[in-house]
Amino acid sequence: MLNKLESLCGLYGVSGREDAVREYIISQIRDKAEFHTDNSGNLIVFKKGRQVPKNKVMLAAHMDEVGFIVTFITDDGYLRFDTVGGIDASVLSGRSVLVGGRLVPGVIGVKPVHLLKSEEKENYPEKDMLYIDIGAPSKARAGEAVSVGDAAYFDSDFVEFGDGFVKGRAIDDRAGCALMLHMIGGELEFDTWFAFTAQEETGSGGAFAAAFAVEPDYSIVLEATTAADIAGVKGEKRVCALGGGAAISFMDRGTIYPRDLFDRAFELARENGVKAQPKTLVAGSNDAAAVFKSRAGVRVLTLSLPCRYIHSPSCVISAPDLYETEKLARLLAADFARR
Amino acid sequence: MSTEPLKALLFSLCGAYGVTGGEDSASLLAMRELSKYMPAKMDALHSVHGETGNGPIHILLDAHIDQIGFIVTNVDEDGFVSVAPCGDADKRVLPAAEVLILGRETLYGVFTSTPPHLSKGDSGKVKDFDKLFIDTGLPAGKAKELIAAGDKVVFKSKQRELLDGKVVSPALDDRAGVAAILRCLELLKGVEHGCKISVAFTVQEESTGGGARTSAYAIGADEAISVDVTFGAALGIPPEKTFPLGGGPLIGMAPPLDHGMSQRFIKIAKEKNIPYGIEAMGGKTFTNADGIAFSKAGVRTALISIPQRNMHTAVEVCGLEDIGNTARLMAEYILERGAAGDA
Repeated sequence: MLNKLESLCGLYGVSGREDAVREYIISQIRDKAEFHTDNSGNLIVFKKGRQVPKNKVMLAAHMDEVGFIVTFITDDGYLRFDTVGGIDASVLSGRSVLVGGRLVPGVIGVKPVHLLKSEEKENYPEKDMLYIDIGAPSKARAGEAVSVGDAAYFDSDFVEFGDGFVKGRAIDDRAGCALMLHMIGGELEFDTWFAFTAQEETGSGGAFAAAFAVEPDYSIVLEATTAADIAGVKGEKRVCALGGGAAISFMDRGTIYPRDLFDRAFELARENGVKAQPKTLVAGSNDAAAVFKSRAGVRVLTLSLPCRYIHSPSCVISAPDLYETEKLARLLAADFARR
Repeated sequence: MSTEPLKALLFSLCGAYGVTGGEDSASLLAMRELSKYMPAKMDALHSVHGETGNGPIHILLDAHIDQIGFIVTNVDEDGFVSVAPCGDADKRVLPAAEVLILGRETLYGVFTSTPPHLSKGDSGKVKDFDKLFIDTGLPAGKAKELIAAGDKVVFKSKQRELLDGKVVSPALDDRAGVAAILRCLELLKGVEHGCKISVAFTVQEESTGGGARTSAYAIGADEAISVDVTFGAALGIPPEKTFPLGGGPLIGMAPPLDHGMSQRFIKIAKEKNIPYGIEAMGGKTFTNADGIAFSKAGVRTALISIPQRNMHTAVEVCGLEDIGNTARLMAEYILERGAAGDA
C-alpha cells in the first residue's frame, strides 16, 4: 500500500485537474472492477463482492490536492498566483514549486531578511504579496514556458523517515485513494461502490455528484485530517495523534455524524483489536458534507489518517495508521452493508 | 562558453554542509577543488588556504565557505528538537521546511508547522524558535540517542535550474563566491600573470567574522578581493537596494574598500566588455571585506558581489552568467595588476 501511496503522491492534480490521478487509478483497476468517469471528473467504481449487500455502501476519497493556479504574469516575468484550496501563508514563502503541465521549476520568492522593516519581520507575507520566480527575465520569456491558468505544485519528494513516518506533498488525500485502490485490488465481502472524487479541496462539488449518481445508503469518507500532536500542544487541541489509528469524526465544520455510527466504529475497533481514536476538535470539512445531503440523505462516517503539517509541502503520516485505517474501513463497510 | 562545468562545480559545492562554525565538510571539498590549482591546506579554524605564483604584488582572493543554518539546543520528552539559528536565517520560510540534522547520523526532519485551528487570530504572526521544532519522526529515546545539543542542521532542498541559466540551491551564499574564485583560477591556469596569489575560503562570515580576520592575518597580502553575494532585484523590493540578475558582478564602494581598486575594476570591466554595476554603501559592507581591510597593518581591499535572490533561505537563486563574469573580472584584474609590475 505504501508503494501505491508513493506512486499516487508522485502525480500532480489540483482541484479540477485530477486527470493524471484518475488515469493512474484506472490503470490499476482496469481488470478488477467496473468503472466510469462522470461529468464532474469523478471516477466511480463498482466492485463485486462475495455477497449482495442489504445496504448500498459507498466509500469515497478525493483525488485532488491543494496547490496553486497562475493568475497573472508581470512585465518582469514573475508569476502571480492564487491558492487552490486552503494553504496557510506560513508555508508559502521560500518554497520550491513546479509550474504547469511541463512542471517548470520555480520558487516562491521572498524579500531578503536583511531588508525587512520590523513589521515585515513579524508576519508571514500573504499570497497576494508573493510571486513565483521561474527565472524568466520578461513576460514574453515566461510565456514560452508557462501560461495564466497553469496549475502549480509544491516541489516535494516522498520520503520515508523516522520510525515508520512518511512525508509527501499530496498525502491529503492520495492516502484515501491508496486505501481504496488496495481494497479494490483484493476480495470484498459485499458488493461495494468506490468514489474517487474531484474538487474536494474547493468545496466537495465532485462528491455531491458522485453521491447523487451512486445513491448509497451508507457512505464512508476516507480522508486525511490535521494532527497537531506536536511540541507545545496539549489536550483536545492535538486533534489526533500519529500512530493512534484512524481518527473518527463526531462532528466537523460540514457534518454532524450519526452518533450510532461513531459508536459502532469504536465498538468494531475494540472487538477486532484495531487502533482508532476520536478526532477531538470540531474543525475542517470534507466530502461527507456533500454526501450526507445528497438525494433524501445518506448516513455517513469519516475515517481520517492523522496528518501533521497538512496542506503544506511536507504532509507527514505514520505508515501503520494506513493499515489500521484500512482494517477499520473494511469492518465498517461490511457492517453497514449487512445492517 | 558552456556553463555546464560551472553549474556542476557550484551544485557540488552547495551540496556540502558547512553551517557557520561547523564548516569542516564544505571546507574539505573546497580544499580538494583548490588543490587542483595550488597546494591547499586547512587552518586551525577550518578555513582553506592556498598560495601560488610569484610577483611583486600579493593578492588575496577570499570567499566565505560557511552557510546559514541551525544548531540543536534540546531534544524534548517527545523527541521534538529545538534549535537556534546560526547566522541570520529567515524565520518566515521555516514552517514545514525540510532539514537534515547532522547528528550521529544524518537525519531527515521537518520543521513543525502549527495548524491554523490552533491560532488565536495570530496565525499570520511569524513563529520564533521557541515555537518551532524539528520533527524527526523518531521516538524520544531514539532521538536522544542520535541527536545532541550542538549538532548542526541544514536546509534540505532541491538544486534546480530555472530558465536562462539561473540556479536554485541552499548555500549559494557564498558558494557562488567560492565557485567564482575557482573559475578565476581555471581561467588563469598556465598563464604567467606575474602575481603572487593566495586564496582563502573562510569560515564564520555568517556569525563571528572570525574566519576572514584570521586568514587575512595569516596570509598578509597587499591587496584582497573578497567575493560575496548581494541582494538581487526581485518583485516588491526597492530597486535602489538591489541589483539585477544577469547584470554582472557589483563593484563595491564603501569606506573600508580601497577606492583605487574599485576604479581599476571599473576600468577593466569597461575595457573587457564585462557587464558590471556599482554597489555603494555608506559604512561597513557587512562582508568579509570589513575584517580583511583592517587586518595587520591594513590590506587594500575590494568587494565584488554576485546578485542573489531569496538570500538566507533554502531557495537562494543566482545567475550562472554573473558568476562566470565575476571570475572573468577577477582574472582580468590579476592579469593587469601583474603586468603593472608594482606592489
